[in-house]
Amino acid sequence: MAKVTSVVWLFAAVVVGQALTPSTFLTTIDKARLKSVFEAAFPVNDVINAHYSILGLKMMNIPVPNSQEACKKVTSLVDAKSVSSLYHASGAAKALGSCKVNAANAQAFLSESIKDTASVADIFSAFFALKNLGLSVDNSKVSKALAEALKKDDSPLSYGYAFLVSAEIGGDVKKMFDSIEDIVAQADEVDEKYLQFEGGLYATALVIDAAYKLSETAKKAPTIPEEKVLKFANYFLSRKHVHQTRSAYHLLSVVKTLTENKYHIPVAVTLASSVAVSQSMSTVQVRVSNLMGAPLGPLTVVADSAKHLRDDAIVLSKKPFSAKDESLYEINFMESKPAPGFYRLTISATPKKADKRFLGTSGAFVEVKVTTQVSIENVEIGIADKDQTTASRTTKLQYPKKAANTFEADSHQKIIMKFQLKDKSSSKSVSAHQTFVKLTNQNTNQEIVFVAQTESSGGYKFDLDVGANAKEFGQLSGKYGMELIVGDAVIENPFSWSLADVELNFADAPTPKTKESQYAKKPEIKHMFREPEKRPPAVVSTVFTALVLLPLAILFICWMKIGANISNFPMSLSAVGFHVCLAGIFGLYYLYFTCLNMFDTVRYLGLLAIPTFLFGNRLLSSIAAKRKQEMMKSAQVRVQKDQHNIRKGEKQ
Amino acid sequence: MPEKLTSVLSKFYDEYVNNTPKRLKLVDAYLLYIVLTGVFQFIYCALVGTFPFNSFLSGFISSVGSFVLAVCLRLQVNAQNKNEFTGISPERAFADFIFASVILHLVVMNFIG
Repeated sequence: MAKVTSVVWLFAAVVVGQALTPSTFLTTIDKARLKSVFEAAFPVNDVINAHYSILGLKMMNIPVPNSQEACKKVTSLVDAKSVSSLYHASGAAKALGSCKVNAANAQAFLSESIKDTASVADIFSAFFALKNLGLSVDNSKVSKALAEALKKDDSPLSYGYAFLVSAEIGGDVKKMFDSIEDIVAQADEVDEKYLQFEGGLYATALVIDAAYKLSETAKKAPTIPEEKVLKFANYFLSRKHVHQTRSAYHLLSVVKTLTENKYHIPVAVTLASSVAVSQSMSTVQVRVSNLMGAPLGPLTVVADSAKHLRDDAIVLSKKPFSAKDESLYEINFMESKPAPGFYRLTISATPKKADKRFLGTSGAFVEVKVTTQVSIENVEIGIADKDQTTASRTTKLQYPKKAANTFEADSHQKIIMKFQLKDKSSSKSVSAHQTFVKLTNQNTNQEIVFVAQTESSGGYKFDLDVGANAKEFGQLSGKYGMELIVGDAVIENPFSWSLADVELNFADAPTPKTKESQYAKKPEIKHMFREPEKRPPAVVSTVFTALVLLPLAILFICWMKIGANISNFPMSLSAVGFHVCLAGIFGLYYLYFTCLNMFDTVRYLGLLAIPTFLFGNRLLSSIAAKRKQEMMKSAQVRVQKDQHNIRKGEKQ
Repeated sequence: MPEKLTSVLSKFYDEYVNNTPKRLKLVDAYLLYIVLTGVFQFIYCALVGTFPFNSFLSGFISSVGSFVLAVCLRLQVNAQNKNEFTGISPERAFADFIFASVILHLVVMNFIG
């Protein structure tokens, strides 16, 4: 149980945790998983996995399965021309014990590999391969080559290798030890609670592990701030689900280092009891341990405060936990009568015998929720008219009994239900996250869910306007089962209560559902020409055409009667030309009406206008001239007449 | 009364027939023709409908326009109005009439559709 909750708490801590104290440790489950990771490397297929698996199992004090065969396999797989292969094989063989890697010329080959141009990793591998094989090593040459290689590559991982080599060589490690601080400063922070190096778990674990090994040799505390140690510890524990043998071994190694070294031991505070606290389970248990889950000796564990997460109310302060066993501590949380809800308990753990190594002893927190039992009271149900706010006649119901009679409501009415939720222990009214009213059609099993609303008075009210919600029911009249569902994270006894049957009558018949999908193909849109208007019958049109032409006949008849003297028509070229041209113009208009366009028409008209004008001008001027002559003549005649008359007069 | 009216009308008709120059009578016949054409078009429109509305409009405009132009011609040609249109010979008036008619009917044809 404790293990499961600790895993749960890992996630909880990831979500809300800002305190740096690790809220998890390597539990039995985690160890079993790591063990299975290591055991998956057997039977041995490659030297590297074999090496780390054997080391990992050895660290966990688990015998290597079939070590004879593993030894045989490792020794046969070794590549005598590869420094890293020799390193892993020799490391594995050494860890297995009574196993010998037969590598001829290994001494010469490996010694040659330690040179100024080699990489840090190669120097590291060659150095430890020589050590593992029990061959002689030139320490000063290694130190010199290492210093050269670090100039070229000063990544944290390289320094990690260098720390391990220096720790093994011993002697004056001051220079190397001083660089720990610089390397640690290069770590990247994630979410203000993790620290990691570029290269992930393997690099981070190796560097920190190496730093502590080096400080062991230097007999000085490594210059890593406590806060950073905690952040590294958090990072390692967040990665405890690792599946690679190499990373798994280094994780195990560094966690072990962080529990056993002389300088820094992070304390993990984890919740050991259930998250839910109630009257029946009133204690909160916490486990205070090192990262491997081992007890830290007698401690004084105090709950500094317990804060309600929503309204920040503090329900207890400075309340000591009582020791259950050497790592388990408990407190009766319900003594302080906390209201239901989520709480954050801030915990500090001080060792009874002062121990400076312990880190993260204050500010740790666990989160618990106080649950409660609720009872439902004052349940009333009734049918009211649409315009009324309260039902005239209500029926009282008692949980968990169902109403004896069926309620009937039509589309002009509404169903009103009221109830109150009360805390069983304090009999104060409480509100729940979920208060649903579910109506289930008895025939079709269709479910329609509504939400009961809180009222200002603290109770709940469910108000269903049958007519207005007809659509929700698909206009389907019939018998519906009414169910009340109440639930919340802090309610211990959520319930679903089938409280009554209602007969609903909707005014309209259910509209048959059109199954047509809204994505179905729509009919093709075709271009529609404007429909021509209805024409009058042909006879009417013909008659009116005749009627319109009739005045033309009248015109000619009139002209004839009046006696237009066509004989007077001057048969000159200009007269004929003028009339022909005029006829031509009107003929052109007709063509314009039937086939020509405006531009052509205007062009032809321009051409026709010239002769028309010339002919017209000549014709009319000639007519004018003729008229003048006539006038002159008539004037002469008149003058002659006058003269004649005068003469006559004179005679008389 | 009706006798008086008929006598007035008959007198009016006699006066017209006897005292109006032949030239003006020809123009008056033309005017009558135009009026009748316009009236028939309007009757069609009122009875049947305006359907090809632009056609009706252009036909009617043609009638009205021609009528106006013909009245102008008649005014200018009339010898009684000689004082008002000095310098405008009947031939000049006729040429104007022809020119204006040509332009009018170009517009009418353009509008007829």
